[in-house]
Amino acid sequence: MTQVQLNAVRKEFGSFVALEHIDLDIQSGELVALLGPSGCGKTTTLRMISGLDNPTNGEILFDGNDVSDVPVRDRNVGMVFQRYALFPHMSVEKNITFGLRVRDIPASEVSERLEEILDIVQLTAFRDRFPAQLSGGQMQRVAIARTLITKPSVLMMDEPLANLDTNLRGEMRRFIRELQQRFNITTIFVTHDQVEAMELSDRVAVLFDGRLEQFDTPDGIYHRPDKTSVAKFMGASNIIDGVVGDGGLKTAFADLSIGDGGAFGAGSQVKAMVRSEAIRLLKEPEAGAQNQLSGTIRTADFFGATVSYVVQVGDYELNVDEHSTEMLEPDTPVYLQLPSDRIWLFPDEKG
Amino acid sequence: MAGRKVTNTFNRLSPFQRFYLIAVAALIVGPFAPLIIQSLAFRWAWPNLLPSVWWLEQREKSPIPLAWDYVLSPYSRIYEATINTMAIGLAVTVICLAICLPAARVLARERFRGKNSFEFFLSLPLIVPEAAIGIALLMIFINLGLAGSYVGIIIAHLIPTIPYMVRMLTAVYQGLGREFEEQAMILGANRWQILRMVTLPMLMPGVVAGALFTFLVSSNIFLLTFFLGQGKIITLPTLLFSKISGGTLDASAAGITLIVSLPGIILLVISERFIKEEAFGKGFGN
Repeated sequence: MTQVQLNAVRKEFGSFVALEHIDLDIQSGELVALLGPSGCGKTTTLRMISGLDNPTNGEILFDGNDVSDVPVRDRNVGMVFQRYALFPHMSVEKNITFGLRVRDIPASEVSERLEEILDIVQLTAFRDRFPAQLSGGQMQRVAIARTLITKPSVLMMDEPLANLDTNLRGEMRRFIRELQQRFNITTIFVTHDQVEAMELSDRVAVLFDGRLEQFDTPDGIYHRPDKTSVAKFMGASNIIDGVVGDGGLKTAFADLSIGDGGAFGAGSQVKAMVRSEAIRLLKEPEAGAQNQLSGTIRTADFFGATVSYVVQVGDYELNVDEHSTEMLEPDTPVYLQLPSDRIWLFPDEKG
Repeated sequence: MAGRKVTNTFNRLSPFQRFYLIAVAALIVGPFAPLIIQSLAFRWAWPNLLPSVWWLEQREKSPIPLAWDYVLSPYSRIYEATINTMAIGLAVTVICLAICLPAARVLARERFRGKNSFEFFLSLPLIVPEAAIGIALLMIFINLGLAGSYVGIIIAHLIPTIPYMVRMLTAVYQGLGREFEEQAMILGANRWQILRMVTLPMLMPGVVAGALFTFLVSSNIFLLTFFLGQGKIITLPTLLFSKISGGTLDASAAGITLIVSLPGIILLVISERFIKEEAFGKGFGN
């Protein structure tokens, strides 16, 4: 149970600025994802929290105490590397007990804690194997067990699901979540994968170019992004220019009614995001429906559970995702409904 | 079992294939044959292809072969030379490792200005003639009072061995990612524990190869030992040289030569067994 705070943390490597300025406040027992494209500074952030790197400026606090000068080995953190970094010359058992053996913990306690953790990660049968004899999922469980056995105050993971195949991902996700709740351990992980960030975390910190863009729940990041850059990174495809009018939004192809315009006064230039799965697609117009537009299907891409349509509305193309129970051909005339509570506005940033 | 398998396979080879294998074997083992024969001869004079009198025929005159009688006697100073060779070789290997491990780590992991030329100059001691190094060192060491001392010889032996060792260890360090040591650090290990429990075991194949090689090179160096030992310290190569420099290639010279080859053969066998060890193959299987 440790609260982790980053205050105005900045990191430079020579003349290269890896992190501009990061303020992050992670609650005790929270599972937080650091999400961003490669080179955005997320791994550097993780390394600084672990103590492998030191910030150029700013401070890192664990439960309110500055740990910037505490060396790695005394910081009591845990880290699971992307490629697990299991010691190839040690058996599973020796790998897991490494952190206890170097701390001179009595042998009886070591074996007690080993049995307990082997049971939790379900690796009792593999205790005498060497890392090269394990599958990816087993290696990751060894790496997690090796870290958890030292009872770290903060657990960090670098791309925890990246090296696993699709079936294993779901299993590992539940496993990590369960362990995290069982030990109630503050957990921070790094990923460049939006889905991985959303499926695993309580809150997501989105980082671009060494800056924290948004720190919110997965739902917030996905549906209520602060900026178009975040929206685009989270896969939003319909981002529309518009001007806020009286209770509505003027766009190039239609006047849309919007909830309340939020903080934007009449006349402000804005961008609007409508998630492709929030748009309803109908073959016949519905009487009295709000924000109903007529258009024509341009392309239809089949993805199994869903179909992704590009629908031309006036000069504008909108992406619409629908269940694949019914498949419509290109050139079919259709009607789109954009629910007013699903239109999210953000300020129009130049550039 | 293994021997039979080899014979069977050998019989299946074509005459040409067999010829080449035998030729290679003859060239490797061949030079040893006269040595072994000579060391067991009682009288062997030119132009006879084989000794005219074998030791076995004269065994009532000398209970062990003449050569070995001399070699194993205190007059040959072979014990002294062997112990000197071993001790110097061991010291050189340990010091060489202690210098080269940190150096290789820097060369493998860091980038710095002048790294390329540094790597180039690393091979300089291998290019400059040994005599030049030896004379230069002797001039310095006489002033320092290190000539004719073990310390002097050990320092001299480090010069041709360090370049090999650094190169070998740099290569293994390049194969060892930083994350293993970082992981150990996060798990609470101190620097000594990381070195002992993680880095060294993972570098072991390279360390063993480098150490064996260094030991072999050191135990074979003649010129530097000869210059700097000043006759006060004899090793197997200098002993052999003083024996044969008189121009007599007799049975006792052959015996000494065989003894001088032994450390190399023993080390070869050790390294072969060590590198084949099961756990090792397993550990680095990925």
